[in-house]
Amino acid sequence: MRLGSYEVKLEKKVKVTALQATIISLLAILIGLALVGLIFLQAGVNPLTGFRAIFAYGFANPFGLPLTINRSVFILLCTCAFIVPMKAGVWNIGTAGQLYGGALGTFGVALALGARESQTPSLSPVLVIVLMMLGAILGGALIGAIPGFLKGRFNTNEIVVTMMLNSIGYWLIAFMIKEGGAFMGGGGEGTGFKLSESVFGPTVWGQTFTIPIALGVAVLLYFLFAKSTLGYQIRAFGLSPSAAKYAGIDPQNVPLVVFIIGGMIAGLAGYHYFAAVPGLYKIPTNYGDFGDLSFYGIICGLISQGNPLAAIPFALLFGGLTNGGRFVQGQLHLGYGIDYALLGILMITLVAFQFFYRNTIVWEKMEREA
Amino acid sequence: MLEFVARSLNASTVFTIAALGELIGQRSGILNVGIEGVMLFGATVGFIVAKTTGSYVLGCLAAMAIGGLIAALHGFFSITLGGDQVVNGMGIWIMGFGLTSYIGYPYTGPLGLERIPGVLGISPFFFLALALVVLTWWMFSSTSLGLRIRSAGENPSVTEVSGINVTRTRYLSVVVSGMLMGLGGGIYSLSYNPVWSINFLLGWGFIALALVFFSMWNPFILLAGSVLFGTLWQLSLNPQLVLPDIMSRYLWRTVPFIMTIGVLVIMSTKWFSSRFGAAKPEALGQSYEKE
Repeated sequence: MRLGSYEVKLEKKVKVTALQATIISLLAILIGLALVGLIFLQAGVNPLTGFRAIFAYGFANPFGLPLTINRSVFILLCTCAFIVPMKAGVWNIGTAGQLYGGALGTFGVALALGARESQTPSLSPVLVIVLMMLGAILGGALIGAIPGFLKGRFNTNEIVVTMMLNSIGYWLIAFMIKEGGAFMGGGGEGTGFKLSESVFGPTVWGQTFTIPIALGVAVLLYFLFAKSTLGYQIRAFGLSPSAAKYAGIDPQNVPLVVFIIGGMIAGLAGYHYFAAVPGLYKIPTNYGDFGDLSFYGIICGLISQGNPLAAIPFALLFGGLTNGGRFVQGQLHLGYGIDYALLGILMITLVAFQFFYRNTIVWEKMEREA
Repeated sequence: MLEFVARSLNASTVFTIAALGELIGQRSGILNVGIEGVMLFGATVGFIVAKTTGSYVLGCLAAMAIGGLIAALHGFFSITLGGDQVVNGMGIWIMGFGLTSYIGYPYTGPLGLERIPGVLGISPFFFLALALVVLTWWMFSSTSLGLRIRSAGENPSVTEVSGINVTRTRYLSVVVSGMLMGLGGGIYSLSYNPVWSINFLLGWGFIALALVFFSMWNPFILLAGSVLFGTLWQLSLNPQLVLPDIMSRYLWRTVPFIMTIGVLVIMSTKWFSSRFGAAKPEALGQSYEKE
């Protein structure tokens, strides 16, 4: 294509440097936010006022910041749950279903060990907490194993299967907490039972202990992919399943393993929000909102290009944006769901920007024709 | 009982029309896993237009228009920019989910129009769906346009060499495909379930996607599958019609989703694909770049 005296060409990128990837990702977010600014304009709010309010509440407000951190931890875990299968070239859009599985595991253990509100657990509370976390991991892993097994064994489309399991998980929780279900809470309509105070997730300086756990998961994954044999096998499979086969990697096992790991991490995300975030300690009526929030993990995983450490700042950013967005829509009388609009716009901008991870635009000054 | 049959057929109408759209796109080689997002756009915009203008016709047209537009965006990412079609589709789905939640929220609640009259409770859209199934089958089996679309999805470079513009053919298919998905969504929100709430499509788009794989890209099998799943969905809402008091109504709601997984698994076994699997468009999901 010609523009003035320049020839503009596209060239395929062979490799994207970390710096380039960061710049592209940040540009994508900036453009996405600019588009959200249009929504503010349409609603009669100055975009600068809107964003200032979002960031002020999300990152600099003594009430807002802890909520942001809780959301960010959740998003980070969902991102990790998305990244592990992504590295193997399979798509885990089932973090919602897996975190529901984690929630069921958590509260199943709590119920079995007598850790309902106003009960005294039959074991030491520390042990109950550990077992609840294991229950969450197991619950998430079980839901995650289904698409993984089917993908490895029959090459069944994992997107449809994980999406179906999101709906199945949603109704399973409804079955457990509503209309006489085993996890139904006393009094309140349609919420799960509250945990006994002794097994609330421990807090340090008022912050939940799942923060360091989530960061640990991200670091662990980073080393898994950078240093370990399993990480190498997953990456090799992601690049070319058939070539990986000749390198001695069992092509049936990789999808199963990555989905189980992803499911375990998503299960922990369920534990985090329903059993460790201060103030909740039960499965609330609006548990579906947390399934929706988990989709930020997809955006965050794509934008960090599958790097779990790079995902940390993005998870923090999205946690703050959604939290601040929720807050300002009341304060500035915006329509409901500005955080949903943000989700949609960021996602599509990011997809558009995938192009720049693959191509470079080259400008060449043309020689004047004689 | 008659009412149950009619409701089931009305539900299957939504699956049929949306899945036909996906089928046409896939035949040209473009996989859109974001069908749920396109349908959400069609359902929400169609609902808003019908509610504000009081006209079903305008509602349906708006649903088709937005569907075509959103699918064209997916086409732009997949055909022109040549990105990973699965990633693009996920983007379309999440965009649809996020934006329609925001746009539709002020319109939460019933449509408030007089229902479209039907025959014995069967909506006129069902007959439209039947006609579209026959038309699509005829187009693919007997017209040169159908042949062009199919060859673009089987072997784009050979198609291009034989003088057919693959890019244009794929864009055409994708836009028509999106109009049908949007219409499917519109029929859901204007006829089948005329009450708007956030994400009220509940995964129907993903079931429709599975139905296309299940159909082996044959419109008549697609219709049969849609009727099966429409009935199953209706049954999961009213389990007392067959098996009273066996399971909680919440567990019944999981049945269509479990069945979808089951069907997909059967489809993907070696036994099945070695017998019936040849119908899959060879270049499905692959971007094509002119040499």
